[in-house]
Amino acid sequence: MERLATNGTNPRSTASIAGHPIHPMLIPFPIACFVGALITDIVYWRTAEMMWSTFSAWLLTVGLAVGAVAAVFGLIDFLGSRAIRAQGAAWAHMIGNILVLGLSLINAFVHSRDAWTSVVPTGLILSAVVVLILLFTGWMGWAMVYRHRVGVSP
Amino acid sequence: MTRLALLCASLLVLAGCQEESFDIQSQIGPDPVLPEPQQYLLPPMKIAKVVGWAQGEKPNVASGLKVEALATGLESPRNLLVLPNGDVLVVESRGPNLEPTTRPKDLIMGWIMSYAHGEGSGGNRITLLRDTNGDGVPDVRTVFLDNLFSPFGVALVGQDLYVANTDAIIRYPYVPDETKISSPGTKLTDLPGGPIDHHWTKSLVASPDGSKLYVGVGSNSNITENGMEAEKGRAAIWEVDRASGRSRIFASGLRNPNGLTFEPQTGALWAVINERDELGPNLVPDYMTSVRENGFYGWPYSYYGQHLDPRVMPQRPDLVATAIVPDYALSSHVAPLGMAFSTGDSLPPAYRGGAFVGEHGSWDRYHFNGYKVVFVPFKDGRPNGKAQDVVTGFLNEKEDARGRPVGVAIDKSGALLIADDTGGVVWRVTSAQ
Repeated sequence: MERLATNGTNPRSTASIAGHPIHPMLIPFPIACFVGALITDIVYWRTAEMMWSTFSAWLLTVGLAVGAVAAVFGLIDFLGSRAIRAQGAAWAHMIGNILVLGLSLINAFVHSRDAWTSVVPTGLILSAVVVLILLFTGWMGWAMVYRHRVGVSP
Repeated sequence: MTRLALLCASLLVLAGCQEESFDIQSQIGPDPVLPEPQQYLLPPMKIAKVVGWAQGEKPNVASGLKVEALATGLESPRNLLVLPNGDVLVVESRGPNLEPTTRPKDLIMGWIMSYAHGEGSGGNRITLLRDTNGDGVPDVRTVFLDNLFSPFGVALVGQDLYVANTDAIIRYPYVPDETKISSPGTKLTDLPGGPIDHHWTKSLVASPDGSKLYVGVGSNSNITENGMEAEKGRAAIWEVDRASGRSRIFASGLRNPNGLTFEPQTGALWAVINERDELGPNLVPDYMTSVRENGFYGWPYSYYGQHLDPRVMPQRPDLVATAIVPDYALSSHVAPLGMAFSTGDSLPPAYRGGAFVGEHGSWDRYHFNGYKVVFVPFKDGRPNGKAQDVVTGFLNEKEDARGRPVGVAIDKSGALLIADDTGGVVWRVTSAQ
C-alpha cells in the first residue's frame, strides 16, 4: 500500500483530546465485548446454563452502546479529513464496522428471546460472524494507524 | 440501517396481518388450531393504557343480565371468597416485586409492564363486605385481615380460614359473623416464593371433604429463562394435607395454574392455566382443564400434548411422551386468572351448569384478546359448547383499560362476582329481571 500522507504531515484526527484521537480509546470496549459474547455464547451452547446467555446479552448491550459512541467519533474523523477519506482502508474499516454494529443489534434482539433459542443457533452464528468481520476491520484500522499514520503526531 | 428498519417494519406488518387473518374462535374448545411456533426479534406487544372507570361507568353484560358495583375504591382486588353467611372476602393484592433485573430485556419489560398495571402501592389485605339487608349494596365494609404478603388464594374449612400468601399458607381462626381477624395466624406450610417469584399468585381451594388443600404454584419464568433450578416445585398444583401441613406435587407441567375449583357434578379438580409467551400471537392457547392426579401437562418441554417448545434445552422426551392434552382451550394470551362454577339458580337458565372464567387480557399480541368474563357451558361435568361473552367493556372504545377482571365467585344469592384489579372494583352480575 502506498503512503497517502503527503508533504510530511500525517492525516489528522478531528475528534481528539490534546492530540489523542478519541476513536481508538473507545474501540477496545466493543471489540472485547463482542469477542466475549462469542465466548459466552459458545459456553452456553455447550452447557445450556442460562447464566452464560445472560452474560452474552449484557456484553452485546455494552458493546453496542460504546461501539455506537466510538462510531460517532470515528465518523467525525472520517468526514473531517480528506486524507482519511482517500484511504481504501478507511472505507473498508467503516463499512465493515457498520455491518458489525448492525449485526450485533440484530444479535441483541435475538439474545432477548427466552432460553435456548436466544443463542442457538442464530445468536451463536451472528456472534461468530461479527468476530470474523472484526478481525478484518481491526486489521484495516491498524493499517490506518500503523501504516498510514492516521492521527499520529507529525 | 434503513434497510434493517424497513425489514423490521415489514416483519411487524406481516405478523400483524397474519394475526388479523387468524380466527380466534378456532382456538376456543377442546381441539384448538395450533399454528407453527414463531420466534421474533421483537415479539408482538400491545399494552392497554390504564384509565379506570369514570363515575357511573360500568362494564357491558350479555342480555338478560345486569351489573352493579358491589364495592369501589379497592386496592387491586384480585380474588374473592364468599363465606357461608354471605359475607364476601376481597383479596387485595400486589406482586411481591422480587424479580431482579437479570437481563437488558428485564429493564425494558419492567417499564412496559408498569404501564399496564398502573400506579398504586396499597393492598396486601383482605376486605370484608357484608350486605345485611340483601339489597345488593354492602352496609358493612371492614379490613378483615391486614399486612399479608402478596396473598391470592383463600379458603375456609369449618372454622379454619386459610390464606395463601405468595410464600406460605397461613391458617387463621374464623369465628362466624366476625368482621375482623386479629390473630397473627399459624403457618401451615411454606410455598415457593422468592427468589424471583415470577408467577406469584397462589390459588387455593379445599377438597370437598376438607381434608386436603390444593394450591396453584406458577412457574418462575416464561420458559425456563431463569434456569431450571428456579423451577423446583413450580408450574404445579400442590396437594397439602390440612392436618399435618405435609405437601406433595399433585400435578405438574402447568405453567401458571389459577382458579382452582372443584366441578360440582363430578367432584373433579379444575383449573385455568396461563400458557407460554413469545411463540406468536396465536400460540400457545391458555386453557381450562380437569387436573388428573400425578398428571403432567407439558410445561416447559411441550404444549398441548407433544408439541415441543424449541426454547427448552435439555429436552425430556420421557416426560413429553406422558404429556396430557388439556380439556378446553380459551384462545391465546387471554390470561385466565379466575374460574367459578355456576351454582344457584338466580341467573338466567343459560348460565346453569358451566364455568365463568375471568380473562385478565393479553399484552403480547397486536390485537387485544380477553379483557372479559366468559361462560363455558358444561354437560355431565365436561365443557359442552363455545365460550360465550358474559361481561365485556373492560376496554373502552379507545382500547384503554377501564378495568381488568381477575377472580370470579358466585355469591350466596347466586349472583356472579368479579374482582377487577385495575379498576379497583368488585362487580356483581345478576339477572335483569
